[in-house]
Amino acid sequence: MTALEKSDLSAGPKPLVLKSNQFRKAREDTWRELEALVARAEKRGVLSLGPEELERLPILYRATMSSLSVARGIALDRNLLNYLEALAVRAYLVVYGPRVRQLNGAVRFLTTDLPRAVRQARWHVLIAFLAMFGGIVAGFLLAHANEDWVGALVPGDLAGERGPDSTADDLRKDEIYAPWPGLVNSFALMANFLFSHNTLVGLLIFSLGIAAGIPGLLLLFYQGLGLGAFIALHYHRGLLIDFLGWLSVHGVTELTAITLFGAAGLVLAEKVLFPNRMTRLESLATQGKAAAQIAIGAMMMLFVAGILEGGFRQLIQSTEWRFAIGGVTGLFWLNYYTLAGKRG
Amino acid sequence: MTVEASRNVLASDFLEGRAKKRRSIAITAPEGVTLFFNLADPGERLTAFAIDFVIWTVATIIFYLVLIFVVFGAMKLNNQIGLTIALSIMLFLGFAIRNFYFIHFELAWQGSTPGKRAVGIRVVDRKGGALTPMAIVARNLTREVEIFIPLGVLSSLGHSNGTMENLALTAWILLFSALPLFNRLRMRGGDLIAGTVVVALPRKMLLTDLVDAGTQTVFLEKHLRAYGTFELQILEELLRRPNAPDAVQLRREVTDKIVKKIGWTAKVADADTLRFLTDFYAAQRAHLEREQLYGKFRADKNAPVTTAR
Repeated sequence: MTALEKSDLSAGPKPLVLKSNQFRKAREDTWRELEALVARAEKRGVLSLGPEELERLPILYRATMSSLSVARGIALDRNLLNYLEALAVRAYLVVYGPRVRQLNGAVRFLTTDLPRAVRQARWHVLIAFLAMFGGIVAGFLLAHANEDWVGALVPGDLAGERGPDSTADDLRKDEIYAPWPGLVNSFALMANFLFSHNTLVGLLIFSLGIAAGIPGLLLLFYQGLGLGAFIALHYHRGLLIDFLGWLSVHGVTELTAITLFGAAGLVLAEKVLFPNRMTRLESLATQGKAAAQIAIGAMMMLFVAGILEGGFRQLIQSTEWRFAIGGVTGLFWLNYYTLAGKRG
Repeated sequence: MTVEASRNVLASDFLEGRAKKRRSIAITAPEGVTLFFNLADPGERLTAFAIDFVIWTVATIIFYLVLIFVVFGAMKLNNQIGLTIALSIMLFLGFAIRNFYFIHFELAWQGSTPGKRAVGIRVVDRKGGALTPMAIVARNLTREVEIFIPLGVLSSLGHSNGTMENLALTAWILLFSALPLFNRLRMRGGDLIAGTVVVALPRKMLLTDLVDAGTQTVFLEKHLRAYGTFELQILEELLRRPNAPDAVQLRREVTDKIVKKIGWTAKVADADTLRFLTDFYAAQRAHLEREQLYGKFRADKNAPVTTAR
């Protein structure tokens, strides 16, 4: 046992000079100041900081980032390293977080982003439309040959009382020229129900885009089948024009919206199937936001369609006026998606 | 029994163990510093979702109670217009809560919801860019299909007839809902589309530097060659919780192991173990940090000294 290997407990602790310790003492105040600012920004948003604090934030942030890279090189104090790593990440998110005010973002979305995203996806829109149109044609042909198909192609709760047994009078009385159910039922209940139901179908079509698009296209086709079968049902009873008028009030908007949901799903599917030079994940992330923009646009259209269908369809009892509304909405959407937000 | 087990784990950690690392993504900030974002565990995300789900359910129930209250009030008053307006507003709010709860909070709180905040996790852009409103909307659009429909399906799984149907439904749930378990970055379908990941952002406290206590024991260089950074930091963890119930015994064990390993010949009394370990920590850290300045880094006791590249 040598003399050196002895704890000198009588003399009391002697201070120890460590570079990492000195480094910490010199900078700790900066970190604490940044930590307080970041904590407040996380709680109440960056904009809750005062002008002087906003000025301090990037300075403190850069100083802390520099501290972090020095600490990684010289310090072995794990608590210090973990603290700096966590603080740097939190500060980074505050400093480089989004600064767009929600209202400005919404206006920009409506006037520019949405129509532009739809224009960029015009081929996807076409394919989605063809899938649904194919469904309509197939449904019509099937039900034209045999009306029993109507029951098979349309889910029971949507068909209601309508089916092969319905007579022309039934359809006229209960469907096309059914009396307006009143303000409460039409706007409050019916519009809400229709919107929720259609949105669910639309989101399903959109989300299935991740699964390479085929299920989404099938769902579009299926939506078309039911409609085609209904058209055939009315055609046989000499109500084709009245039915189309009745349908066009909301149908123009609704079918466009469903088509857009399908197109958004196809945008996703394209990126999954043909990632180009990127990995599939990167590829999906590049177009995912554009697809979501289209889906949000479609959702808003469904909201409009829900109000038209639940509220106005039965209020207006003349086929001519119904066609007029359908035509006007159609023209409006066409103009909006082809012209809005174009530069120069 | 459990105390015993946990102690053994820690004591052996000090000599043989390996630290468990969270999965992380590296993002290089414009300042040129690479930051590591630790991914949230599936358990954390499930907890966060459960909290949000409860809040959402309670909020919806309250709204419907208000709805019923207002409707009955309006019916007594026989006020048709008031009834209509109340009904329409309430129905729409019910729908809005269901569909925009997540979107609203993630927009307003920059990628956080009440549940996520409680657990300490957040949504961030996968590439480290700003989390745009569109990304938040995108990742929540698919939530209906990924979570709410499968939840509904799960509750009806027993009632449907036909095994094929059950099989298809199970496949559906697996395909969409279990997606986070099948990829390295733990992404849901919505995260894939939006280019986001969910990360854990715990608040770390800056504790006092153990070295500040000063030192009373003098170690020679030959005593400090036994261990590397890993062991140093395990020792730090031990010293940072001196009030653990079995701390005295644990310190005794670790002291004995160190004394044996470094060839320390003096006896360390039970009362002096804390002092000894603190001093050894300070000396070992001073030694390793000094070596590191000369470009010699040692990861743990088994690793050879690596020279800086």
